[in-house]
Amino acid sequence: MKRRTFLTGAFAGTAALALGVNLYVPTSSTAADDIHHRVLFSVFIPIFLDGSLPEVANHREMAINRTLDAISQSITHLPQAQQDELMELLDLLEGRFGLLLLSGSMTPLLGREPQQLIDMLEFWRYNFLDMLKTAYSGLRELIMASYYACPEHWGNLRYAKPTFLVSNAN
Amino acid sequence: MAIIDPIITGLSSGWHHIDASTLEKDRHFEADVVIVGTGAGGGTAAEILSQAGLKVIMIEGGALKSSTHFDMEERHAYPNLYQQAAALKTADKGIGIFQGRTVGGSTTVNWTTSIRTPEPTLDFWQQSKSVKGLSATELQPWFEKMEQRLNIEQWQYEANRNNGALRDGCEKLGWEYTVIKRNVKGCWNTGYCGMGCPVNAKQSMLVTTIPSALEHGATLISRAKVVKLEHKGDKVVGLTAQAMTEGFKPTALTITFSAKHYILSAGAIHTPTILMRSNTPDPHKQLGKTFLHPSLLSGGMFAEQINGHSGAPQSIYSDEFVWQDGAAGELGYKLEVAPVHPVLIASKTIGYGVSHAQLMANFNQMQVTIALIRDGFNEQSPGGQVRLTDNSFALDYPLTDGFWSAARRAFLSMAELQFAAGAKKVLPMHDGLSFFESWNDAKQSINQLDLGLIKTIVASAHVMGGCPMGEDKTQAMVDSYGNSHYFENLSVMDGSVFPTSLGANPQLTIYGIVARNATALAQKLTAK
Repeated sequence: MKRRTFLTGAFAGTAALALGVNLYVPTSSTAADDIHHRVLFSVFIPIFLDGSLPEVANHREMAINRTLDAISQSITHLPQAQQDELMELLDLLEGRFGLLLLSGSMTPLLGREPQQLIDMLEFWRYNFLDMLKTAYSGLRELIMASYYACPEHWGNLRYAKPTFLVSNAN
Repeated sequence: MAIIDPIITGLSSGWHHIDASTLEKDRHFEADVVIVGTGAGGGTAAEILSQAGLKVIMIEGGALKSSTHFDMEERHAYPNLYQQAAALKTADKGIGIFQGRTVGGSTTVNWTTSIRTPEPTLDFWQQSKSVKGLSATELQPWFEKMEQRLNIEQWQYEANRNNGALRDGCEKLGWEYTVIKRNVKGCWNTGYCGMGCPVNAKQSMLVTTIPSALEHGATLISRAKVVKLEHKGDKVVGLTAQAMTEGFKPTALTITFSAKHYILSAGAIHTPTILMRSNTPDPHKQLGKTFLHPSLLSGGMFAEQINGHSGAPQSIYSDEFVWQDGAAGELGYKLEVAPVHPVLIASKTIGYGVSHAQLMANFNQMQVTIALIRDGFNEQSPGGQVRLTDNSFALDYPLTDGFWSAARRAFLSMAELQFAAGAKKVLPMHDGLSFFESWNDAKQSINQLDLGLIKTIVASAHVMGGCPMGEDKTQAMVDSYGNSHYFENLSVMDGSVFPTSLGANPQLTIYGIVARNATALAQKLTAK
């Protein structure tokens, strides 16, 4: 069986609208992989959501953690092929060789300045390779969808669902 | 206010429903007719066949969710009610696809727009695709029947501001526009149709034909994914489904079915996928040719509140540009609007960081116009191709030069319309662009845009084709009544029978054609 991979298949990204915090339960014990990926996403979230995240430090931290939880849930709702592609991208970004391949530098993402991270995203975003454009758009959609899926992040939008129903599941 | 949930009421009255995720062993079922899928096609067929006295089983890959579960939040609606949690994409990730996966199919989550099949489409099918008996005149009684059944009527209330802007722009520019007919009864005008109607006003299959079929003794099996049909000679002799878990992962349990007649109504991706996986004959390579109405988006920022999340999501459309060059001529596009909800807008807009945050902060002033490009009518837009992968499927849909040319014209029309309607600035959803402050700026820049894969946002909510109808076997898999050209007891009754896209939102076309075809099938099966 041939596994579709990020490099050959191009990362689906897109969790698009997956967000699915349907079964969301705040969780402190996660698999080792998930912890690594949380670290990685915690590097990207302040870049993608600059201007949207709260400025007050502890509110900001709560929003980031909430988004990380939502991302974990979003990923579980993706079809296996898309999950495989995403995991491969994340694994590449955690390894020096992969980082060199995708960003031209071996410096771990955690050690980079915000502007360096922006430069990397812009390099992907406007790259002639569809694979890198896909990596950018996939991470973008996953993070945006996961953040805005959470009602506690709608304050700036002045959006709230109607409250005329007294009982609903979920 | 508490809403009575007709599904919960019906289940407690003794409807036959099996949630396959609760099964503990393999099962086998027999019926007169087994229907795969419960969307616009499957739901309509189930009602007609069960009313004719036939024993019907409906099989659905999604779950049975109803108004009790519809809480108007995207985070629950997308994973629960949509294919691949609304993250379904074409193989190259160029087009995001919204398709329902729940009892009621896409009718449970669509925006209720109900449009009869455009006559140029019916004429084209008759002249170029060997379709017979489906002229506008011949279909009229079937449309009337389904319009009455589903309470399809012109929207009587004032359009919300999102749709109002489309109307205002058309009026200013002298462009055609039409008030939409919707399948609603007692609509609360809240705007959450895409997350499942919380008040059961939307006359989807979930609350109309499926309950009716269940009342007539039909059985519904949910969370069961049909994987293949067994066939021998010119007969289908069985069908196999896999029970899914509550979270839609496959289990080891299988459910088998045998019936006198089998109907595939699994939608334009899954119907051909089931046939491909079953190695059914396809000597002329017609299976899986798919059309999407690939759509572009344009955001207009207004000084006043638009509140695009509130009110009927679609109540106005414009056909000004759909047929300008004839059916087979240059690709045309239909103008509609999209509702503005946080996840949908955050992910289908462009950019990140401060620019995106500002866009979201002005969320309530944003009007979103969409242009749906009609595909499949000429070589400029041959459509896509579904293919099998190891465990699933992929949809290849190359975006051609002809498509990009139409996309540019569509971006121009949308910007012109939004400025005419009073937008202060306009942003076509193409990565790297900033808001245009005037129609002249927009016109110059859009004409220079380097449109292309992934950087231009393309979405689809209409999956069509894949198992085309027609009398000519070299062009079609089923005849004009949806009966297989290869198996005497197999029919296809869903949007996959369309030989091209429609140039209009598909639900009413499916209702009308399936009502006609299922009625004919019921007569045939009960005459024996």
